[in-house]
Amino acid sequence: MSGSEPSADRLDYVEWADRLRDGELLGQECAECGHTTAAPKAACAQCGSRTIATVTLPTTGTVHSETTIAVAPEGFEGEYQVAVVRLGDAKILGRIDDTVDIGDRVSFTDVVTADDHPAPVFTPV
Amino acid sequence: MARASIVGAGMTKFGVHERPLPDLFADAAFDAFDDSGIEPPEIEALYFGNAMGGMTENDTHLAPTLASHIGCTGVPAQRFEDACATSANAFKHAVEAVESGRHDVVLAGGVERCTPETGLGTGAMTKVFVSAAHRQYEQPAGLTFPGVFALLTKRHMHEYGTTEEHLAEVAVKNHYNGTLNPRAHFGRETTVEKVLDSPIVADPFHLMDCCPFSDGASAVVVASEEAAESFENPVDVAGVGHATDVVPLADKDALPATQAARDAASQAYDQAGTTADAIDFAEIHDCFTGAEVMATEALGLFEDGAGGPAAAAGRTALDGDVPVNPSGGLKAKGHPLGATGTAQLVELTEQLRGEAGERQLDDPERAVAHNLGGDAATTVVTVMEARQ
Ligand SMILES: [Zn+2]
Repeated sequence: MSGSEPSADRLDYVEWADRLRDGELLGQECAECGHTTAAPKAACAQCGSRTIATVTLPTTGTVHSETTIAVAPEGFEGEYQVAVVRLGDAKILGRIDDTVDIGDRVSFTDVVTADDHPAPVFTPV
Repeated sequence: MARASIVGAGMTKFGVHERPLPDLFADAAFDAFDDSGIEPPEIEALYFGNAMGGMTENDTHLAPTLASHIGCTGVPAQRFEDACATSANAFKHAVEAVESGRHDVVLAGGVERCTPETGLGTGAMTKVFVSAAHRQYEQPAGLTFPGVFALLTKRHMHEYGTTEEHLAEVAVKNHYNGTLNPRAHFGRETTVEKVLDSPIVADPFHLMDCCPFSDGASAVVVASEEAAESFENPVDVAGVGHATDVVPLADKDALPATQAARDAASQAYDQAGTTADAIDFAEIHDCFTGAEVMATEALGLFEDGAGGPAAAAGRTALDGDVPVNPSGGLKAKGHPLGATGTAQLVELTEQLRGEAGERQLDDPERAVAHNLGGDAATTVVTVMEARQ
């Protein structure tokens, strides 16, 4: 064995999704390089460290990019807007309630579910 | 020094095909065999690409099935699956196999059917395609594949001022090139107005910014440097770069940078001992018009932010200073996922031999192919050179 100690409380997807459904957006912050993500992984995607702390992400952020999906996959009804939202040091993909442009401020207000998998919904503030 | 050589290249017309995967692949493989003058028993291994056959046609253990179907029974045969970069990755492994001395002559290629011939309509196929985005962090939001590239492109537009007209010019150019390619899915020209008037798929992309669902197959015979000497028309593989970027896309540092393409390109250029300035033309993964713009920058053909204006100024046209997608690209030639990567290499081979017919460029010596898969994650970049 070598390298960093695994985090005792490694945030896995099931826990992340459960908390998301309860209205809390969890992420991870790497103890080695400081990289923050809203899509928890088993190790840091930037440096490979397994010492990563679970953090609660801010619920208000800024639209980094967005698109309105007109042709939806089976199981979805178009149109709807999705966006990459910057929350502090992390970015996350979510659904938009209403419409936004890049740079707009949004806050995490709800969850949509597809095939039992939740995704965050953001609303302009 | 060549890492390997392509000594035979073949592909089907891209479009709508009733033929099942084995027959479609055989057409491309035999085209490549006949081009090289080789017979099936001389092929030592099959490196094969198919991305979605399990979902689209309930067909999964394809490599030995296809090896048997084309007279290469018993050879080591393996399937590669990297979304839309599937057969470029198969090709990379074929190059490594002949370079290492493991084999002398191998077949690399791919096949895919994406049209309603599979029995799947637009909604179902849209769902199949988005299986290449992150299952937990992207699919539940209702992201689509056009949506992935729309998010990257909208950010590019925001940062650099790229316009919808710039994007439409890419479609117009590739449609024109497609009219000169008898194997292209689309053989008709279009205009900026027609692109901008077509329905929105995922903004900024109109239907005419998107490549079509296509069926087709492609294959190349890859030979070691030594074995290539006994073939008539070898074209040399000078460099192959392969990199991946972080998934999901929200974790990328800079969305429009398509970092994996930059990393793969620098590997390929370094191996080839060349730079972007010395590239005569490029086949680029233009699944969406914005993808071509971002790729021309990632490959170093234009400065960051200059890709859109360069396309609009005609610099990437057949008679421009850096022709991009003389074949018509994915946009007009078509995009049967697993066949796309090696089809780009078929175009490089034919152009570098001077055998590209009406769309033949003026004596190109060095070209680059860029094949991208997933949410801008897998990228394979290949540099090929004409024999002097
Ligand atoms: Zn780290």
